[in-house]
Amino acid sequence: MYYVADVKEADCAKYNCKQCVLFCPEPNTLMYHDSKHVAWVNYSRCKGCAICVYVCSDLLKRNCIEMVMVTAGD
Amino acid sequence: MGLEYVRISPGFERYMPKDYVDLVQYGQFGKQIDVQMLGQFKELVEEHPMCAGCFMAYFIRVFYAALPNPEDTIVIGTAGCARLALSQAAVPFIYGNYGDTNAVASGLKRALSIRFPDKIKDVVVIAGDGGLIDIGFGMTMHSWFRREKFTTIMVDNEVYGNTGGQESGMSPKGVQLKMAPKGKQFDKINAVELAKVAGCVYVAKLAPTNPKRIAKTIRRAILAARHFGPTFIHAYTSCNIEYSIPTEKVLEDARKREKQDFGFYEWMTDEVKEFFEEIENKPQEVKA
Ligand SMILES: Cc1ncc(C[n+]2csc(CCOP(=O)(O)OP(=O)(O)O)c2C)c(N)n1
Ligand code: SF4
Ligand code: SF4
Ligand code: SF4
Ligand SMILES: [Mg+2]
Repeated sequence: MYYVADVKEADCAKYNCKQCVLFCPEPNTLMYHDSKHVAWVNYSRCKGCAICVYVCSDLLKRNCIEMVMVTAGD
Repeated sequence: MGLEYVRISPGFERYMPKDYVDLVQYGQFGKQIDVQMLGQFKELVEEHPMCAGCFMAYFIRVFYAALPNPEDTIVIGTAGCARLALSQAAVPFIYGNYGDTNAVASGLKRALSIRFPDKIKDVVVIAGDGGLIDIGFGMTMHSWFRREKFTTIMVDNEVYGNTGGQESGMSPKGVQLKMAPKGKQFDKINAVELAKVAGCVYVAKLAPTNPKRIAKTIRRAILAARHFGPTFIHAYTSCNIEYSIPTEKVLEDARKREKQDFGFYEWMTDEVKEFFEEIENKPQEVKA
């Protein structure tokens, strides 16, 4: 089990935003879908720092991304 | 080095690792990427072992996206945390002995100018506060006195992070660290003023709170070094481990430090200013 960020796609889709993607410290991890206009997480690369949650919840008050526990292979 | 080296020979695509194929197909070789496109292209830097939430790692991520000519760039690093990521990127990386980065870069840049007089070859040093302003101080200064045409970026986490928390000349006065239990006795060194006095033609200081501005600063530092002389960026890149910053508060900390003592600062010679006025206003003139 490890801790990763997970985007609530339906909520994120309302904003056409991308801010969290621009602040993730890890490369090729918090991605942005070109046509759906939502952020998504490559779980196997996420280190669980929750900087993206700070951006979405604390700075933007949008609450579209949360930390979850996953099991390897999820 | 050069575009012809990164392209995959026809017929070999299916034998190459997927990450490499993605890099060539969806990466930034041969293009100038807008940093706002992060998350929508394959980045030059790969998975690396820097700590979760490390803002030095974040700065390095933006650094690679900002490179004006990644296929014609050599990055020089040394002992310290940054090399853990710098060594995992699809840009040639040289590990200078600790303290020697700016001497290695001086020789390399001169050699490249002789070998490829008509081509763009950018050299960038990225090293820590310890590597550049303590142990490498002499080499750093002399590369500036001698007007060597490359960029030096100090990723300042205000500590020797990689060796477990010794104070550096860049640690703020009074700060208590694992191996500075009485608190640091001296002031933080004013690296920006030293760089100006020593002969840098472009000097900037920033906290990583605004990716667009980081990218613009890096591009400017590299382009100014290409044409005019040494350039220097002093970047605050916190160490959440040694300064016990909860990872989710790392950006908040950077924003706080920006307000306190890392407000964006940029200085350049008149010659460099004129150069940017000319090249950066060009597209707008075309549109008008
Ligand atoms: C010549 C030499 N002296 C000392 C060391 C040990 N050493 C490795 S990393 C480091 C300090 C790193 O501090 P800094 O340059 O600020 O980089 P950071 O890890 O904080 O990013 C030291 C002293 C070394 N590798 N080589
Ligand atoms: S910050 Fe929030 S709303 Fe914006 S892209 Fe990220 S998850 Fe979506
Ligand atoms: S938790 Fe950290 S590493 Fe994971 S997606 Fe968010 S910002 Fe990136
Ligand atoms: S020790 Fe500090 S500077 Fe080094 S990778 Fe970890 S958080 Fe970053
Ligand atoms: Mg350091």
